Amino acid sequence: MKVTIKSWTGVASWRWIANDENCGICRMSFESTCPECALPGDDCPLVWGVCSHCFHMHCIVKWLNLQPLNKQCPMCRQSWKFNIH
Amino acid sequence: MCDLNALWLDVLKIFPILGGETTSPPETVEDAVFENVYRHLASLGTIETLTSILNLEIESAIRNVLVPKFWKHFTLTENEAPKVKLDIALNTAAFSDPNALFFTFIYAIEELYNSYECLEMVKPRLLHLNKKLLLSSSLENTKNTLHNALLAQLPPSFNNFVCDFYSVHFRLFTKDLTLSLNTLDSEVFTDLPCAGCNFDLDQCCCQKLTEMVTTTNIKLLKMGLIDRLAGSALTALIKLKIKEHINDTCVGIFDRSHLKQLETWINDVVMTWLTCIFTEWKSKDDISQEKIPKSVQAFKVKLTYFMYETFAQNVISQFFSIIIDYPDSSPAIDDLKICMEKIDMRIHLTESLRSSLEARILHPGVNTMDILTGYIAAIKAIRHLDNTGVILEIVTAPIKDYLRKRNDTVRRVVTGLTEEGPTDLSEELAKGEFIKYGKDAGNNEYSNWENWEPDPFGIDPDVLELNNSKVIRSADIISMVVDIYGSKELFMVEYRNLMADRLLSQLDFNSEKEIRNLELLKIRFGESLLHSCEVMLKDVTDSKRINAHIHGDGNSDESPLFDISSLIISAQFWPSFNKESLQLPVELENEFKKFTKAYESYKGNRTLNWRTVTGKVNIVIEIGDRVLEMTVPPTQAVIIYHFQHKNEWSLEELSSLIKVPPSALRRRISFWQNHGLIAEIEPGVFSLLEKETEKTQFEDVNITDADEEDLESAMASASDQREEELQVFWSYIVGMLTNLDCMPIDRIHQMLKLFASHSGGVEFTQDELKHFLQRKVREHKLLFSGGVYQLAK
Repeated sequence: MKVTIKSWTGVASWRWIANDENCGICRMSFESTCPECALPGDDCPLVWGVCSHCFHMHCIVKWLNLQPLNKQCPMCRQSWKFNIH
Repeated sequence: MCDLNALWLDVLKIFPILGGETTSPPETVEDAVFENVYRHLASLGTIETLTSILNLEIESAIRNVLVPKFWKHFTLTENEAPKVKLDIALNTAAFSDPNALFFTFIYAIEELYNSYECLEMVKPRLLHLNKKLLLSSSLENTKNTLHNALLAQLPPSFNNFVCDFYSVHFRLFTKDLTLSLNTLDSEVFTDLPCAGCNFDLDQCCCQKLTEMVTTTNIKLLKMGLIDRLAGSALTALIKLKIKEHINDTCVGIFDRSHLKQLETWINDVVMTWLTCIFTEWKSKDDISQEKIPKSVQAFKVKLTYFMYETFAQNVISQFFSIIIDYPDSSPAIDDLKICMEKIDMRIHLTESLRSSLEARILHPGVNTMDILTGYIAAIKAIRHLDNTGVILEIVTAPIKDYLRKRNDTVRRVVTGLTEEGPTDLSEELAKGEFIKYGKDAGNNEYSNWENWEPDPFGIDPDVLELNNSKVIRSADIISMVVDIYGSKELFMVEYRNLMADRLLSQLDFNSEKEIRNLELLKIRFGESLLHSCEVMLKDVTDSKRINAHIHGDGNSDESPLFDISSLIISAQFWPSFNKESLQLPVELENEFKKFTKAYESYKGNRTLNWRTVTGKVNIVIEIGDRVLEMTVPPTQAVIIYHFQHKNEWSLEELSSLIKVPPSALRRRISFWQNHGLIAEIEPGVFSLLEKETEKTQFEDVNITDADEEDLESAMASASDQREEELQVFWSYIVGMLTNLDCMPIDRIHQMLKLFASHSGGVEFTQDELKHFLQRKVREHKLLFSGGVYQLAK
């Protein structure tokens, strides 16, 4: 007997490759959205800092805008720099 | 003295009543006799005395002779009645009991009338005798005395006689009408008895009867007795006739209006008949409006109202059928609406409708879809009747209560909303008319007080008190249906689950219809509740694009073993999956890894978690000289794939290889058994069948079986989801048991309830908790001994 698979339609769920599950600012799951967004994924991306912490982009930008002087990572208090891959 | 004797004879001649003669009409008397008597009496000065004697005599004659005699006819028992002598040839066997009543009546009236006439003669003669006599009220008195005496001795059965008499009268009267209605089947008609007199047509005696009846009636009229004697019987008779007429013409016919016809009928038939009774009018043609007496006019108003009432009751008693036929039965509802403006029938309507609904659809023998259909039809029909929604609210309350108890209601409603083809709900949804739901409820009540309108009357105020939210009352059908549970959330959750099931079972990346439905629902229920549905549909379209991108890329050097497309979902927004798993063979898994890699390079920083159990696989099986091409779920595909390299597998072996529990695996294998490819050669051992022998006999079975597989939901069942909810408390339980070492279940339950009231209020019973803890025991996370739980060391 020979079984040939012609096509396979499967189901998969996507997730961010990150070292945490929830955004440290809004406490929502990374795969979910920041409080302001409706659609997850492309429309509400994650960003990483050089300190290796990551957040919803919208969350961290909002946070940084609220810091008048030195922009720090809310988790580790190191000064915040975007880690561009 | 002999003068006096002669005078007395003369007086007797003039006033036979003084000799006790009351029946035969008095003979005519010459003027000379009058002159003579007058002279003598005047000379004696006894005219006054004579007058009073006459009055007394008349009175006593009425009391003691006329009236008892008259009533005697009616107190006879049935058997004696036919004894009454009538010189009418018709009084034969043909006229049985009911007609005997009729003839007794006629005869009695005739007798009474003759006597009455006798007495009537007294007056003019008295005047004739004494021209100076003032017009006293003697004549009036005769009538009054007669009335009084008659009524004083009224026997209870008399109404039957009157009724009978007038029903014959009515029948004769309406004969022509009935004839004209029946002209079409006149041939049949000749075989039937005459509608007027119940005789065969050749012996028809309508003419004779009509004459008799009319003369009797005129006699009654002259004595002024109709109102007194026959009034109530007449009313009862007419009411009966109206009821009969309505039953004959209106029952079961809802698709046209009846009120106009009934009104004309009342006017043309009943009123002319009444006029005919109350006036001396004989033929139909010379009647004119002025001749109708006032009493008849007043009667008409009464009868018209009675007609409305009877008609309305008639309609109400059939209202369930009207609801079922609704769009066709709207004329009947319009009629009822007119009736209800005139007569207050709301309470009657609501009660009768409630009970008929309960009897017809609210029992276990009716399936939920039918109840819903009935509910929707009721909403439509009652809204047509009463647009304030009050009646609707009251009548449908039991339906809502009942539907709430059925556990497939939500599912049926949601299916109804989204199903292909014309269902009430999907049409309603497509209409797109919407009512702002809930938002305006609170503030409008006060800010908009100038436009306040009182609730319609005729409704129990307690009921109104209960449903004081006007918004719900005016809501549309979809809202009414969703309102069964009092919350839209539940419906939206169910909608999401069903949509997830549909998307996962189709997997054709074609979501246009879903999107359309979703847009319609969003208009109605607001975006926020349907947010996750929106994300789900976006996942579908995104997946389509990603698949196209990955396929089109073609950067992989070696050509893939097979095409992979994937529905890539945002897990957070989908209902949770059930916990089934499936381990793919390495070579297949590699293909998926390639796909994952392609995805990762397309979407930076993101990766895929495959849910291997769900999906559909298109496979070609070559076995012997057969080639089978089919689309199967992944588990089935993997099973048959493994049989490629090894013809015989034991259940346990295969189970541990592909990580499917044995019981589930056995179920999946049966799919291939039905196809005649695999057989269980000994318990727990399955082997491939290379030969074709048994194939044919299973051919029929497999189709249904495959369908059954498809119906299985990939989503977690309700109880699984429930356990997920309890998972929240696991950390609490661990904390508790760490501190207190061991606890019985009711303590744990109490403690958790304390927490639960703080944290969002998840309600659960001790049974559910027990279930959950037992599972933890099975997973070796807890120990259970001596009625207490403790943490496993």
